[in-house]
Amino acid sequence: MEQFWKITLDLCVGFGETLKIFFITLAMALPLGLIISFGSMSKFKPLAFLTRGFVWIIRGTPLMLQLITVYYGPGLVFKQMLFTAPMAVYITFTINYACYFSEIYRGGIESITKGQYEAGQVLGMTRRETFFKVILLQVVKRIIAPMSNEIITLVKDTSLARVVTYYELIYFAQRYTKNAGLLWPLFYTAVYYLVFTAILTLLFRWLEKKLDYFKA
Amino acid sequence: MNMLEVKDLRKRFGDNEVLKGINLTLKKGEVLAIIGSSGGGKTTLLRCLNFLEKANSGEILVGGRSVYRATEGEKPEVTPEAQLSFGLVFQQFNLFPQYSVIENLMLAPKLRAKRKTTQGERETPEAIRERAEKLLATVGLSEKANAYPCQLSGGQQQRVAIARALMLSPDILCFDEPTSSLDPELTGEVLRVIRSLKSSDRTMIIVTHEMEFARHVADKVIFISDGIIEEQGTPEEVFGNPQSEKTKAFLSAGQKV
Repeated sequence: MEQFWKITLDLCVGFGETLKIFFITLAMALPLGLIISFGSMSKFKPLAFLTRGFVWIIRGTPLMLQLITVYYGPGLVFKQMLFTAPMAVYITFTINYACYFSEIYRGGIESITKGQYEAGQVLGMTRRETFFKVILLQVVKRIIAPMSNEIITLVKDTSLARVVTYYELIYFAQRYTKNAGLLWPLFYTAVYYLVFTAILTLLFRWLEKKLDYFKA
Repeated sequence: MNMLEVKDLRKRFGDNEVLKGINLTLKKGEVLAIIGSSGGGKTTLLRCLNFLEKANSGEILVGGRSVYRATEGEKPEVTPEAQLSFGLVFQQFNLFPQYSVIENLMLAPKLRAKRKTTQGERETPEAIRERAEKLLATVGLSEKANAYPCQLSGGQQQRVAIARALMLSPDILCFDEPTSSLDPELTGEVLRVIRSLKSSDRTMIIVTHEMEFARHVADKVIFISDGIIEEQGTPEEVFGNPQSEKTKAFLSAGQKV
């Protein structure tokens, strides 16, 4: 029993590392995704073309391959590592998730009727004011469901960071298999993921309720 | 002096010329009704006046001052002052759904007061709220100040939209078929509000299919067909004694239904 609590606490440290990836990725990818979505909707065709091409490459290749490329790639090309493992993980996850988010944003933004923009214009509001004060919250309301899907996927994708020697939850558990021949800690990690996604699910449900007061 | 003067306004969408040289004048306090069949250019004219579409050529003067002047191939930027010379009430209301009724009224004036580029004295939030409450009373919706648009009927939403447009004190208030998306029993309340707004210093332009309303409220009626003003005059002249064959055909078609 004592061993159980010891391992539980140890895995908590590993899960802390997992959460670090999760929150840093979210904090950077949410705004970056919006910027990428503006790029892919740009009226300046070359920019839209380039952005969409980039999104295609990122969404079209495995996250694991991207991690390996960012971490080991510079070493192969310049004979020198450019990023530490955590840096490579944060950068790769941020770019990868920003691309997925950007498509969700784009769908949401394009679904808002032209009349909302026009109302802002005839009331003398600038395009910026109209977007941030009128459009954005309506977009948020519409994209909660697809966003919650992506964000819950992110929780579990963090386990891929292990391939570039980032020590997260699964890595911590596998150490017990390697060093002590214990298998159960690996399966036990599922509880951490489940509890955390349950909290996220409740959070999204709360947010949805919170925005229920208007129809958009 | 003319409150509004429109000179040779033209608008094309691709090869399709929708406005083929519109000229009109309007005095302060006058109400202009624009009638005509669908696709004739009525709504495009109103959208050009509100700069939702930019006319390809022509000039718009408000109170004698040129606010928009385009020559073929060159469309000017619209200044905030020019934009605020006009107000527009949409057919589909276009209220902001996440804001309560009173917030819908206050949003644009509040942003305007905060904006760095705004000239002159800045209105305080208290003054803005006071004006909003007054205008809500004008359209008979004081008790709905804290309701959200989705809780209102179409007619109530349109009355809020009218109050919201008035918050910016436009020189010329435009209505784009304000009752066309309402159930018949709700059009009356909106038309009554518009009629009550008529005063010596409020200039209004209304695109409408409500002929009775145009006849009784407008000082001036124009009939637009195929991108040109086919006929214009007082309601008595246009409805009572139309000169053009197209006008006659349009008006009699309406009566037959």
